[in-house]
Amino acid sequence: MQKRQPELRRSVTPWGSFSWGYSDVGADIFVGLGLVLGAAAGASNVAFLFAGIVYVCIGLAYTELAATYPVAGGGQYFVMRGLGDLFGFIAGWAVLLDFTIDITLFAWSCVDYLSQLIPGFLNTTHPWTHFVVCLMLIAGLATLNVIGVRESTAFNSFVSALDVISETLILTLGFLFAFRPELLIHAMHTAWPSPFGLMNGISLAIISFVGLESISQAAQETQRPASIVPRTSVGLILTILIFALSYSNLALGMQPWHPQYDAHGHAIAFWQIFTNNADNQGKAIALLSAQIPYYGLLATLYVPLLGAVLLLISSNSGVFGSSRIAYAMSTEQLLPSIFRRVHASFRTPAISIIAFSGVAVLELIFAAIPYLIPAANVLYAHLFRGEGGLDFLADLYAFGAATSYSFVFIALIFLRLHDPLSPRNFKIPFNIPLTVRGERVEFPIVAVIGFLGIGSILVFTLITHVIGRIAGPLWLVFGVLIYLWYRKQKRLPLFHSQPKDWKQQQVEILRNAGELELMDQYLSRVRDAEARQGRVWE
Amino acid sequence: MTAELHVTVAGFVIAMVIAAAVGATIWWMLHPPTSYVQMLAKEAETELERLVGSIIVVFSQEIASQHMMALAAKLARGEKSDLHAIYVVEVPFTLPPDAEMPAEERIALDALAAAEAIAMKNGVNLRTDTIHARQTSQAVLDIAKQEKANLIILGSYREGKYTGAPLSRTIESIAANAKCDVLIGVEGKHGTILVDEVSETGSVSP
Repeated sequence: MQKRQPELRRSVTPWGSFSWGYSDVGADIFVGLGLVLGAAAGASNVAFLFAGIVYVCIGLAYTELAATYPVAGGGQYFVMRGLGDLFGFIAGWAVLLDFTIDITLFAWSCVDYLSQLIPGFLNTTHPWTHFVVCLMLIAGLATLNVIGVRESTAFNSFVSALDVISETLILTLGFLFAFRPELLIHAMHTAWPSPFGLMNGISLAIISFVGLESISQAAQETQRPASIVPRTSVGLILTILIFALSYSNLALGMQPWHPQYDAHGHAIAFWQIFTNNADNQGKAIALLSAQIPYYGLLATLYVPLLGAVLLLISSNSGVFGSSRIAYAMSTEQLLPSIFRRVHASFRTPAISIIAFSGVAVLELIFAAIPYLIPAANVLYAHLFRGEGGLDFLADLYAFGAATSYSFVFIALIFLRLHDPLSPRNFKIPFNIPLTVRGERVEFPIVAVIGFLGIGSILVFTLITHVIGRIAGPLWLVFGVLIYLWYRKQKRLPLFHSQPKDWKQQQVEILRNAGELELMDQYLSRVRDAEARQGRVWE
Repeated sequence: MTAELHVTVAGFVIAMVIAAAVGATIWWMLHPPTSYVQMLAKEAETELERLVGSIIVVFSQEIASQHMMALAAKLARGEKSDLHAIYVVEVPFTLPPDAEMPAEERIALDALAAAEAIAMKNGVNLRTDTIHARQTSQAVLDIAKQEKANLIILGSYREGKYTGAPLSRTIESIAANAKCDVLIGVEGKHGTILVDEVSETGSVSP
């Protein structure tokens, strides 16, 4: 008799799958727009375009991989399967960094947006209140996720729908009533940034597109993932791209309803309110929507609240993502088995959720110290050029994303060459047909372009972000040490991969996903391939 | 002080493109192709709708159908079926066809009242009738034909009258001669149906 282990519930619908991704990526623009406008000025739309092209490549890569291998690990699993255990761990550990940052960054931003309505939450004037509210939000979300995915999916779905409608309305009415093309051209002509500013802007713009991992993470709980995930991923890619490009162009070419003035009383363009103004950068969408004629009256009331709620569910998807990837890594013996323990009643990986929410709390403390303890400013100024709060979190966010995405592109290329038999319900376009070891394969051009793009963003991040340059690599070194210690304890290979029957695993993945037609297709291909080589596979 | 509206052709076109693009993307995303398994499931649902359009639940002295009545009520609620419960009182050949049988009729009243309670609990309408007949099986077949029923639901053979056959002759006759589908609920050895093996034993067979 074999004891049955509790499994993750397959309860996420197409809209739920989209919502998990949207609640993560969709909220990024609420944080990223102001930061990019502050850094890249008149080239903000170009920064978003560059990051957006890379994001499309990332999105397509994730879509193909998540539809082919619908398991909870997401990027970590793809890299492990393509490049082996150690690289899989590094990619997963980088994604974990991003998810834990996700929890903190968006809880922080959520409180920033709320401070528009409740001045007592302002970080600069009430840092302890700000800190305590962030802490309570993180604890609350961790509890929600321990209770179960169905409950939190319903929560995400509702707010995501509301936000898609609201953002479409903001952009449509913004372009309709307040857009002047000549202002856009003027801003691009007169306020083009320095190369450093542009690099900084691009590296910040990529944080507006981080979060596709959430859809991959939810793949194991999504109904018919090989069919649904490609749709929801492509839908998410397009929606977010439309929003990001539209916002940046609208902000540069906007004629504000109320004239804007600088500290000396001189009239300035709308986008200039974000230059060297951290307060404004933190609530860009609320400020932009308030400047749309007439609609701004309504937007002033609800956009800060909606932004706060969306940022909160983005934080929630960080809780969801970190626990799921830890679950998957533990299953693959990359992390201790405690992280894959599923709660008997709630059927969720409760220990993972609590552990990585704890990491998020530590990051919150690190980000908040300069505000909570003024004396710490000297240390931060010395070590991190005075970066704290959102800067600290955004730096690490960009580093983690660029690192893990770089590995994912390499894994995609490797899997195309070494696992051509797995059915790909969605395949990235523009491929070069090749023959490798007697099998016809397709080499993905888009993955190479994407790798070069994300590689350049990683370089921009290391050049322009002090904390990303120091704390990011330190996080990876710390993780590799844990990995080596754990593998040594378990007498597993340290630098090599454990032998795995990938073919059998693929059959089980497809069967568990309910993709029976694809399973039959895979079995047939494998048997044909084995027959060509004179072997029999059972 | 507020600025005037700035409606430009470019702004108008971009606004329309944004609204159309977002709407089209979401619509496309929410309409994925159906899989083979989903098509099978849809066909089964369509078949079920046809199957349970009109349901007759049969009670008699030798057929206990309370548990099947509960199932029928749930089916009827989901599929908005026409639900009819009948109690057949068998009149022996030794009595005239219109003979009064107060004891039997009293049992019939109880059975049909219980059926109505089940139906009410499930929020469905139920017609009830007590029918006198020489043979239960023929009466059921006649009613089913007359009402163009899609499904006849029967309970199991009443305990204490088991004669060695798995179903009584009455039930077998209905199942063999009905022109519509027949659903017979036969209780298991211990009188419990649909036992969850996993939850009962905490494990599954290898």
